[in-house]
Amino acid sequence: MRTDRVPGLGIAKGLMFAFTQVFKPKVTIQYPEVVNDISPRNRGRLILLYDEAGTLKCETCFQCAAACPIECIDMGGVDTRNRYHVHWGPAEQYAERREESALRRSGRTVPDATFEPFARIDLGPVDAILARHGHRPRAALRIMDDVQAEYGYLPVAALQHIAHQTGAWYSELYGIATSYPHLRFETPGSHVVAICRCAQCTVAGGGRVLAAFREHLGTDIGGLSPDGAVRLESTDCRGESAGVPRVTVDGNVLPTVNATDAATIAAALRATVPQGQAA
Amino acid sequence: MSVVSRPWSRLSLAGKIILPLIAVFVALNLVIVLGWVSGILPWLVQAILDALGDNVGILRFLIAATIILVITVPVAFMNIFFEMKLIAFVNLRVGPNRIGPWGTLASVVHGLKVLAKEDFTPTGADVPAFTLAPAVVYLAAVMTLLVVPFAPGLYGYDMDIGLLYFFAVGGVGVVGLMMAGWSSYNKYSLLGGLRAAASLISYELPLILSVMGIVMITGTLNLNQIVTAQEGSFLDWFLFRQPLGALIFFIAATAEASRTPFDLTEADSEIVAGFATEYSGMRFGFFFFAEYVNMFILSAMTAVLFLGGWNAPFDIDPLLSAVGITTPVSVAFDPASLGVGLLWLVLLAPALIIGLLTAVIWMLKSSWSIVVSLVVAFLLFNVIVVGALVTFAAIDLEWVIGLFWFIGKTVALILFFVLMRATLPRVRIDQLMGFAWKWLVPAALLNIFVTAGAIVILDQMGKTL
Amino acid sequence: MTGEPRVRSLDDPSIMVDSPATIIDAVPPYPPRTEREAEFYSLKDGEMFVNLGPQHPSTHGVLRVVIKIDGEQVVDLDPVLGYLHRGVEKICENGDWHHAISNCDPLEYIASMFSEAMPVLVAEKLLDLEVPRRADYIRVLAWELNRISSHALFIGWLALDLGGITPILYGFIERDEIVEMLAALTGQKLLFNYLRIGGVNGDLNHEFLSRLGDWMSRAGKRIEESSKLMNENEIFVGRTRGLGVLTREAALRTCVTGPPLRATGIPYDVRRAHPYSVYPELEFDIPTRTEGDSYARYLLHLDEIRESIRIIDQVLHQMPDGPVMAKLPRLLRVPPGRAWVAFESPRGQYGAYGISDGSDQPFRFRIHDPSYFTLQAVGQLVPGHLVADTMAIMASLDPIMGGIDK
Repeated sequence: MRTDRVPGLGIAKGLMFAFTQVFKPKVTIQYPEVVNDISPRNRGRLILLYDEAGTLKCETCFQCAAACPIECIDMGGVDTRNRYHVHWGPAEQYAERREESALRRSGRTVPDATFEPFARIDLGPVDAILARHGHRPRAALRIMDDVQAEYGYLPVAALQHIAHQTGAWYSELYGIATSYPHLRFETPGSHVVAICRCAQCTVAGGGRVLAAFREHLGTDIGGLSPDGAVRLESTDCRGESAGVPRVTVDGNVLPTVNATDAATIAAALRATVPQGQAA
Repeated sequence: MSVVSRPWSRLSLAGKIILPLIAVFVALNLVIVLGWVSGILPWLVQAILDALGDNVGILRFLIAATIILVITVPVAFMNIFFEMKLIAFVNLRVGPNRIGPWGTLASVVHGLKVLAKEDFTPTGADVPAFTLAPAVVYLAAVMTLLVVPFAPGLYGYDMDIGLLYFFAVGGVGVVGLMMAGWSSYNKYSLLGGLRAAASLISYELPLILSVMGIVMITGTLNLNQIVTAQEGSFLDWFLFRQPLGALIFFIAATAEASRTPFDLTEADSEIVAGFATEYSGMRFGFFFFAEYVNMFILSAMTAVLFLGGWNAPFDIDPLLSAVGITTPVSVAFDPASLGVGLLWLVLLAPALIIGLLTAVIWMLKSSWSIVVSLVVAFLLFNVIVVGALVTFAAIDLEWVIGLFWFIGKTVALILFFVLMRATLPRVRIDQLMGFAWKWLVPAALLNIFVTAGAIVILDQMGKTL
Repeated sequence: MTGEPRVRSLDDPSIMVDSPATIIDAVPPYPPRTEREAEFYSLKDGEMFVNLGPQHPSTHGVLRVVIKIDGEQVVDLDPVLGYLHRGVEKICENGDWHHAISNCDPLEYIASMFSEAMPVLVAEKLLDLEVPRRADYIRVLAWELNRISSHALFIGWLALDLGGITPILYGFIERDEIVEMLAALTGQKLLFNYLRIGGVNGDLNHEFLSRLGDWMSRAGKRIEESSKLMNENEIFVGRTRGLGVLTREAALRTCVTGPPLRATGIPYDVRRAHPYSVYPELEFDIPTRTEGDSYARYLLHLDEIRESIRIIDQVLHQMPDGPVMAKLPRLLRVPPGRAWVAFESPRGQYGAYGISDGSDQPFRFRIHDPSYFTLQAVGQLVPGHLVADTMAIMASLDPIMGGIDK
């Protein structure tokens, strides 16, 4: 029957056709039980590629970051002679940088050599603790309790190791640790002296102060004094020093300081910690 | 009132609920005991029972009206679910399948979502009309359910002018749509409201004229009598005695329910949401539910008028008497005569049967533990008992089987409505009104003419239509 | 800070927050600048403006259409563009010739191979570059696949704007298969970034060919099925036949090209009129219809899908071997000059005019998008019809706002 001869037949045919479609197989892909394949040529996966020998193909030549029209590539690396590290691109983009950002935002001073493991410690005990708790990120608090019992404080290297082994982010672990007052990041009884090394502070006398601290504490920036009592760090005055080098002791800014003051302060700080008690 | 407020604020949330309940409980007990002792309570109870006994009709009406009001919401949920799933199947998709088993809770979630949205009135809107419009539309839909006979004996109110009441009250919905369209202070709503008025009023006429044939044949406007006039086999249904009338009624019903292909009142590819553009939250929910309740009502009316209502397509009594069951089935035994056997029947038999089923299932399905097989056996026992009761009720009580047939026919029609929505595009307003006035009204008049002629001729021949 | 505050608070009574349909007052707050504007923005008795605003379920992208209606009938229509303007032409000037490919991708986002072809063909013309034959064939294959997927979507939109919700989902099933195929070839599913100056980025691989072979066995079946729901449906035919009739003169006057033009009877197809790539070696017809109404345009799209399937078949049989990319220097300096290229996209003649000043950055791109002109045709076709037909006519002309607004 021609559909233009019989009124309503086209509609009826359409309804019959639709009714038969109800019983055909469905084309829905039931995610997440069934995951659609991603083509190997897909450029949406953000991973670095390795060649057959297992070497990383990326040479950190920065050409991709320079060429990207929307500046979405963030790269960091150390120069070939390990003198300094370079960063290109907006901060806090990918996980590695995000961890470091969490550290920076935590208010703790960050040593210069950011990509070096902080204060290399023996991570064997940490491995044992992790094995005891089954490498579960949900046991983070218990793991950190054990680490604190082992080392006396939570070393950054230990936290990074925990992060790598359990899959939890460093910032998560940091967040958990700061929620509990009994967990600490500093060696018990140790002090932190931080000094700014920008041009303004150095000209205002900071260079001599730094030299004095170095001599009297017996350590350089980023290190611990031999008796473990005082750590010397670097800080940032953000241009507000106004003629006085910015030196902080345990977070408190000293109003004025010169080289002789530095000697006094160093001695005082080292005396406050009885020998043998600092970890 | 700090004497009360301080200890009150010390309570936990659970305490705040339980303590008043305890107080109410104690007070109620005191009242009952005092009343009983002093003789006031028995007198009061007797007076109430007398009053109820005298006015059983009013009580029945109140209960029926409450039930009708309450079932509209689950009915709307069911319609929404059917729509989502059937349209998905026609499109070769699955539809909601995560919320609830096979997605059945999805429409409930939609209802809750609609409740949770912000309810605002736009600036410049005519507030009384804006607020009342959803209520008018919903009420018009729900009030028509009062006369629909669901089963023999299951109706809201048996009116002799039931059909007339149905059309009259159903037409009030147009007023609500116009109110919504006008009061929203929005040109889209205005367009939608005017389209609604034009289309709904145009299709009232074919709707009513097409059932005039039935009224002529049965001689009554009472819906119960119209259904009983279709007793017998399915060849007695008015679908076969009034085919043209059925077709016209169905098309006009589609337009009255604003369903595709006639849904230009809320054509969301042209005028966003038509008259309901400015509504949000539960106000929109009322329109939303009213549309689906309307769909149910019009399917129910089509079933009642043309598909035999609660009549089965074939008579099951001959089948049953062949097996040896005569209706009504009467189980003539006195439970008290069993004596101790009654205790066994009520307490021990279910436990024994469940235990037996558990053992069988546990032995057959090795992967299930005892507990799991116990639960499954309990459920199975319930299914068997309920099945037996329902079969007994279906055979014995004629309203159960009648309700089953009625619901079945209504659901089939609802599914057909949904299928139409899935496949057909919508018509334009001038095509819609042209179709109504130029084709349906003359066809309905032709139907009346032919039916009247047939009645007269057959009357002469001694037969009835 | 002196003077008036730039931002007024919402409590300011001079800002009256109205309902959506009136919040953008259709009448502009300045005196009319042209005669046409004066004619449009003056209301006679009984007429009113309705804003089918930038947020609307049926405008094909963000498009504002101001219609002047008298009851239900549209008296006049004014489309307002620019809501999707992204400054693509200017951005292209800031980057490399290669960057222009990914910048121009989102112009015709439904069939983005065609919008990528624009800077590629312009650069190749300026460089006078001979593209390897295999690359040319692969380009044609990709173009025709894009054409089919775009037309599948067109059919869906047309039905959706008329109220039928099923054909678009069938169209998406068809489009999904094609797009997965192209994802196996190019890596992406929507904005492919596949064409390169001098060829294409990557040869055909096994997965693409196996998916293509699989698809060819049932090519277009879904579209045929969904046409069962539409071709003979009285309601659909009643909504589209005789609607929005575009006459030959009107089409030629408005520079409409593509399916709307071929539906009026003029067999103009850039693939035959100004052949490019390997189209001269392929055998295909130019389907035309004579009525020029929406129904004819719809049927024409169905015919074009069949022709595209024919072309794909021939391409697969005639595909030569060879490299897929010409040798180009790393830093591409295009010799100074001007070039105009034109090719056939699913919506009509897609043209580009490029000016190079000899450096590695384009000096100027001017993009001629076919949807821009079909949208102007809407303003002539709709007055006289009803509000509901506005959407039907616009859907049947198949505009894409990405290309219109650039």
